[in-house]
Amino acid sequence: MRLPAVEVRRLYFRYDKEYVLEDVTATIWDQEYIAIIGPNGGGKSTFIRLLLGLVQPTKGEILLYNKPPLQARHLVGYLPQNVNFNLEIPLLAREVILQGRLGPKKFRFDATDYKLLAQVAKELEIDTLLDKKIANLSGGERQRVLLARALITKPKLLILDEPTAAVDINAQKRIYAILKTLKMTKIVISHDINILLEGVDRVFYLNRRLFIHENIPLKLKNNGGHFCEMELFEELKRRCDG
Amino acid sequence: MGEMLHFFANSFFAAALLSVAIGVVGSLMLINRYNYLAASIAHGSYGGVGMALYLGSSILLGATLFAVALALLLAFMTYRRHRHLDIFIGVLWAVGMSIGIIFTDLTPGYTTDLLSYLFGDILMIPNSDLWFMGAVDLLATLFLSVFYHQLLAIAYDKEFALTRSVPVALLHTCTLLLIALTIVMSIRSIGLILVIALFSIPPYIAERFAKNFWQMVLLSVPIAFFIIASGLTIAYYLDISATATIILLAALAFSITFLQGER
Ligand SMILES: Nc1ncnc2c1ncn2[C@@H]1O[C@H](COP(=O)(O)OP(=O)(O)OP(=O)(O)O)[C@@H](O)[C@H]1O
Ligand SMILES: [Mg+2]
Repeated sequence: MRLPAVEVRRLYFRYDKEYVLEDVTATIWDQEYIAIIGPNGGGKSTFIRLLLGLVQPTKGEILLYNKPPLQARHLVGYLPQNVNFNLEIPLLAREVILQGRLGPKKFRFDATDYKLLAQVAKELEIDTLLDKKIANLSGGERQRVLLARALITKPKLLILDEPTAAVDINAQKRIYAILKTLKMTKIVISHDINILLEGVDRVFYLNRRLFIHENIPLKLKNNGGHFCEMELFEELKRRCDG
Repeated sequence: MGEMLHFFANSFFAAALLSVAIGVVGSLMLINRYNYLAASIAHGSYGGVGMALYLGSSILLGATLFAVALALLLAFMTYRRHRHLDIFIGVLWAVGMSIGIIFTDLTPGYTTDLLSYLFGDILMIPNSDLWFMGAVDLLATLFLSVFYHQLLAIAYDKEFALTRSVPVALLHTCTLLLIALTIVMSIRSIGLILVIALFSIPPYIAERFAKNFWQMVLLSVPIAFFIIASGLTIAYYLDISATATIILLAALAFSITFLQGER
């Protein structure tokens, strides 16, 4: 029996008047690897902010491992879309990563935290970055540090919002290769369709409504991966409407 | 002469206590980009000064209560990140000051010099203020020591901190309350108009040299003390306003750092 990691039922959400998400229903299974794609403003970030309990549904229900989002936060590792980080703070990469170990009643780091830090740094090959100021890292280096911050929580569910934004092609490949090896439930938003070639189980296409595709990756592989994003969106829409 | 020395000693004490507050609270202000919020609290708290004058009660108490109320209001408004937030902050600033002005106007036989609240007088610090400053310093240092990592996590990436169940709203409110108390404790020495500049500059300079936040805090303290103490000394010998001298020295240090960074 497959265990559901995320259950979303008849979810509606709006910030103001207009709905950003409409009638979204989906189940994501434990250990599944989901890619979320869709146009800018399609509601991808909003969807995962709902999963994290950062905003509340206007209508509908969300469960993470059978718990409401606010009670499941400790199970989730999160990498936000790289927008409003304050870069003027003197902060070392290692301090940023350790933030993933904070909790409601956890103020100090202990031996376990430092052991996990060493582990995850080795895994992501960022040992040499640990003692650099976060503001001085390149975009790609910073994304790997933020991925480490998500992973150090030892999550059952990993949620990444555009982990390869501003990352060069080799670093992208590296991040995807790492993601492939991680044994947990993974939800990754990306504008980069290369991700679809990297072991993704299903593709969610989100543009206010959700369209789920089970076998797009195979189709892509047959085409040698030569899809541009627009073509892919068109293809998805056509199939969903048809 | 003995009297004079006593005041001079008190102002150096005040300078030291101020420097600690600048190091801790000024640095927190900088990393959270709360300088505008803090300026609003500083100016708005003049409402408390006016009301205290009118009611004939302690000015320190009046300003404290008023600043705390402003901080709570701002904490509530900023937490949900309102649209047009900066307009609200500016309005609160003006409303507070206006309340202060009206109440001073209404106060019969009002004689206290308005300028001393706007610009302060670090040469005239009474002992009771020093105790208040010491208490606020202690509180600020304790607050930062206990919640250090959580406060940094919030400043760096509030959403992520929320996903780790860090009590963001509570710590945000406490930070603003601490800023309010710090501002009130500084009014009598540097005045509410100049307080924000003095709280911004030493942490800004320290940030250039600090690798992490502790270093920034610890460096800000001697930088602040050096600026205030030199300003005091120069002002004393030239017989000019201490506050203005201190601010100009701070601005000079700021310019040098800024230009060095530009190269
Ligand atoms: N805090 C907010 N308040 C009001 N509207 C918002 C807010 N955040 C997002 N929106 C709106 O909701 C819609 C969906 O935004 P969202 O960030 O979820 O899109 P996205 O799919 O992640 O886009 P992108 O690919 O650009 O990251 C957009 O139209 C956006 O303008
Ligand atoms: Mg987004």
